[in-house]
Amino acid sequence: MLRKISLKRALTYLSVGCAALAVSLLSPAHAQVKELKVGYMKNPIQEASVDIMEKWAKKNGVKLVKIPMAYSIFQEKVTATLTSGNDQFDVIWHNDDWGQLWIKWLARMDDVKGMDRVSKHPLDAFYDEDGKVSAVPMAHTVGTFFYRTDLVKPEEVPTTWAELVSVSQRLQKEGKVKWGYVGGMAMNNTWFSLWWTMWGNKCDIFMPMWERDNKKLNAAGWKPALTEPCTKEYVEFWWDALYTHKISPEAMTSYTRDEANAIFMAGDAAFTLVDSTHFGDFNSPKKSRIAGKVAMAPQPMGPRGEKPFAWNEIWGWGIPKGVPADRQKLAKEMLGAMLTDMEGQKAMWDATGGPPPSMDAWDILSKDDKVFADLKNAVFDQNIGTHSAYYFPAWPAVHKAYSDVMIGALKGKREDIPKAMAAGMDAVHKAANGGQ
Amino acid sequence: MGTPGPDKAPGKPGKSFALRWLALNEKTRFSLLLLAPSGIMLILFQIVPILIGANASFRDWSLYDPQRTWVGLQHYIYILTDPNFLYLVLPNTLLLMVSSVSIGLVLGLALAHMLNKHFFGHAIVQTVILLPLMVAPVIASMMMRWIFNDQFGVVAAVIGALGFGQIAWLSDRWPSFAIIVFTDVWLWTPWFTILLLAGLRSLPKEPYEAAAIDAASKWRVFTHVTLPMMRPIMAVCIVIRSIDCFRTFDQVWVISGGGPARQTEVFSIYAYTEAFVYLNFGRGTAAAIIGAIIIGTLGWGLYKLLNRFMEVSR
Amino acid sequence: MSVATDTGYTPPKRGSFLDALAPGGKRAFFLLSVLGVLLIFAFPVFWLVLTSMRPAWGVYYVHRGLEFTLGNYLEVLEQEVVVHAFFNSFVIATLSTFFSLTVTVTSGYMLSRFTGKLANAWFGTIYIFRTIPYITWVLPLYFVTQWWGIFDTYLGLLLPHIAVHICFFSWLMKGFFDGIDPSMESAALIDGCTRWGAFLRVALPSALPGIAALSILCWLWTWNEFLFALILTSHNTPMITVVMAQFVSELGTEWNLMSATAVMAMVPALIVAIFGQKYVVRGLKV
Repeated sequence: MLRKISLKRALTYLSVGCAALAVSLLSPAHAQVKELKVGYMKNPIQEASVDIMEKWAKKNGVKLVKIPMAYSIFQEKVTATLTSGNDQFDVIWHNDDWGQLWIKWLARMDDVKGMDRVSKHPLDAFYDEDGKVSAVPMAHTVGTFFYRTDLVKPEEVPTTWAELVSVSQRLQKEGKVKWGYVGGMAMNNTWFSLWWTMWGNKCDIFMPMWERDNKKLNAAGWKPALTEPCTKEYVEFWWDALYTHKISPEAMTSYTRDEANAIFMAGDAAFTLVDSTHFGDFNSPKKSRIAGKVAMAPQPMGPRGEKPFAWNEIWGWGIPKGVPADRQKLAKEMLGAMLTDMEGQKAMWDATGGPPPSMDAWDILSKDDKVFADLKNAVFDQNIGTHSAYYFPAWPAVHKAYSDVMIGALKGKREDIPKAMAAGMDAVHKAANGGQ
Repeated sequence: MGTPGPDKAPGKPGKSFALRWLALNEKTRFSLLLLAPSGIMLILFQIVPILIGANASFRDWSLYDPQRTWVGLQHYIYILTDPNFLYLVLPNTLLLMVSSVSIGLVLGLALAHMLNKHFFGHAIVQTVILLPLMVAPVIASMMMRWIFNDQFGVVAAVIGALGFGQIAWLSDRWPSFAIIVFTDVWLWTPWFTILLLAGLRSLPKEPYEAAAIDAASKWRVFTHVTLPMMRPIMAVCIVIRSIDCFRTFDQVWVISGGGPARQTEVFSIYAYTEAFVYLNFGRGTAAAIIGAIIIGTLGWGLYKLLNRFMEVSR
Repeated sequence: MSVATDTGYTPPKRGSFLDALAPGGKRAFFLLSVLGVLLIFAFPVFWLVLTSMRPAWGVYYVHRGLEFTLGNYLEVLEQEVVVHAFFNSFVIATLSTFFSLTVTVTSGYMLSRFTGKLANAWFGTIYIFRTIPYITWVLPLYFVTQWWGIFDTYLGLLLPHIAVHICFFSWLMKGFFDGIDPSMESAALIDGCTRWGAFLRVALPSALPGIAALSILCWLWTWNEFLFALILTSHNTPMITVVMAQFVSELGTEWNLMSATAVMAMVPALIVAIFGQKYVVRGLKV
């Protein structure tokens, strides 16, 4: 009896096993055991970049597992995954903000195909001490000054802060628009108000100005530039913009780019500065009331500026070091294919307004795409003198401390600004030194 | 109270499990069985992770490069000597807690009382009161943020239409604090209402009949019959709600982010910032544990006080 | 109860604001306050619904213009993941409500009916672990579920969701049972009922209104829960709140789609609340 059952069972197992083997041998899926997992933020540009990779994956019989993640926990979750050596992702979205945070955990990318044809400056965030790079660019993220073409003629576009104030006030007085400038200012949106004017006034957060070499900054003791005259100038500019000239709403200190974009797209402001990728939204009749009436221009300069400032950073892709060598190789192959796929990059630009990573694509686009030519003029051809962040682990802490000091100063009295700056020196310095 | 013992007893090595089990008296066996399922779940998915986290609070544990070297009480000392924590964050947190819990309790009690009667449209009113529970707190907070925006918010539009001009609600300390409290009350009053209503519904009828014979006024019946009988439920609700309110995160994070310039920062934002903005997980968990100790002590005192106070008020 | 013993004492009538009103006025006042309450509770939700029906260019300036559309809903529904996410959220919310209540009703009963070291230790434990903020344990929980191989599975989300309710629910259940006279159970025991029988047949029915209320709260809480869903899931178990969170990116918020998803997510919640509250209202008196 017992033997009979076990025999029957063995037979069943055998036949099932055979069938499974047969199916797996016969079906083309057998070739698809290769699988790559991509972790990214759900966003049209990143999805477009993943689409380029998918094209390659389909052609090469690799299964691409897409893992979109919410931005609010992306950095925390991926950091935790990387440090614990978990095998969750083969390719992850990499951002200049955390370029140095993950340097220890990511593979080097110098040998990826097409890396010789990318802009080098934006990669600064991703180099290790030996000069090897840990990211492959996906798209450029650049702050761009936008103006309303129905309100301002191209030759009237402000090139200095003073003009920004006078043009705004004129438009407001004529009743053409409610506000002159609107941009994000709350924590994590500092670029769209305080910072562009800071760099546009040849100023910076730490001394020496515009230095991004951590060794030199270390040697200088991470001394904040808050008490420098150039800082006072741009803080007073914003204080006046809010309370004296009233070209910006008072509550702008609490705005993120959501509020600022909403106001700009509703037609209630003449100027804004935000990532270039919003150009598509601004000009989409579906999303904006000012579609077709928005153009890009170089940033207005502060009293110390000589040439309009611009920054040029990237979003990139990284590969965790913990990924087994064969899959690392495969992932690099895929990223190389993405980087050399001109057609795909052009499609990404067309669909999303994300400036493509390869210089070859730039050459193609700047010839026959007017918008790209405008963007090139407004950003890439300007004075890209420094980076829009510092590349060391304490950077988020510095950003937060700086933001608190500035918002506090802007909520106070104008004559108290120097006092607030002096008081903030310690907080920002401490933040740079890990709270010590 | 590191590793609590209640349900460890049956698993101890030595004598066989069955023998030990039978040696217990019948009542103990019954009570162990009653709490075994929740005890096991609690250990696996709450106590173990919390102990891991608590371990980090004694170590040099940065999020991006955990060294895990022992630093003793360094993180705790840092937080307890941080003037921002002591003189800004703690008062804000306590103020939020006291205002939100007290307003929510009074409103919840009033609404529960109202819903305990039958009137026309009862079902609709009750459903409407439950509406805030049906929206995710994060979404509700975003909605509040937009509603109170000075440019496109509907409140600003109404106030502007009435001729009061614009108020920069969210960029000033007290208006944004008030909006946070309002949102919190809005989100949690239904919670009080439904639990207190359930409490009211389970009360026995006899004391009310006795009070009716006495011709006691409605208010007197409420204070002398209803409240004392509701004591256990109310005490639990108040204490639990206080504990949760002490660590409110979503509403504050979405509405003000602790700003302007940390003016509305509460305890959980402080701990979150330490752990995930400054990437110092060790210090963040230390802050969280300090907060837990503070609210744990406060809550316990409150619980005892409530029990005694209501005992007296009978 | 003191009132019951106070026979013969008639409290003085309080001259309250309400008494000063004529009976009709009193009724109007009651009606007005009810309407006021309804307005405050309903308005943000009403505004959310209105927002979700605005075209993308009008989601912030909701009161500016009268154009409404269902386009946002259609755009959300185009994502394949949404239906899957609704299903997952429903399953997790329902299962976690059921199991949370099952495991805590016993532990709450134990806390209410037994005294002594064991009960005290258990009560102390749940109290202490209730006070610890999520920040301490969500990240370790991420690792714990990975060690046990249940990360990004139903189980990996369900079990933590049950655990998170244990402290609060046990305590609240204790409160419910405290409000119920234990003499009935003693009588049942004397009549030859087992302890389990006394618990299941006598104590449990009396606590049902409270349990029904808790089940509504638990279901809605799990349905709307963000943090665990964001940390403990990946691409295999999409949850509706995760889908919502993904409308926020580094480049801003797609509020039109986010609000439409939130409104869609309210529908099951509304149904559950309406069905659930019937039991709270009815109450089961012994």
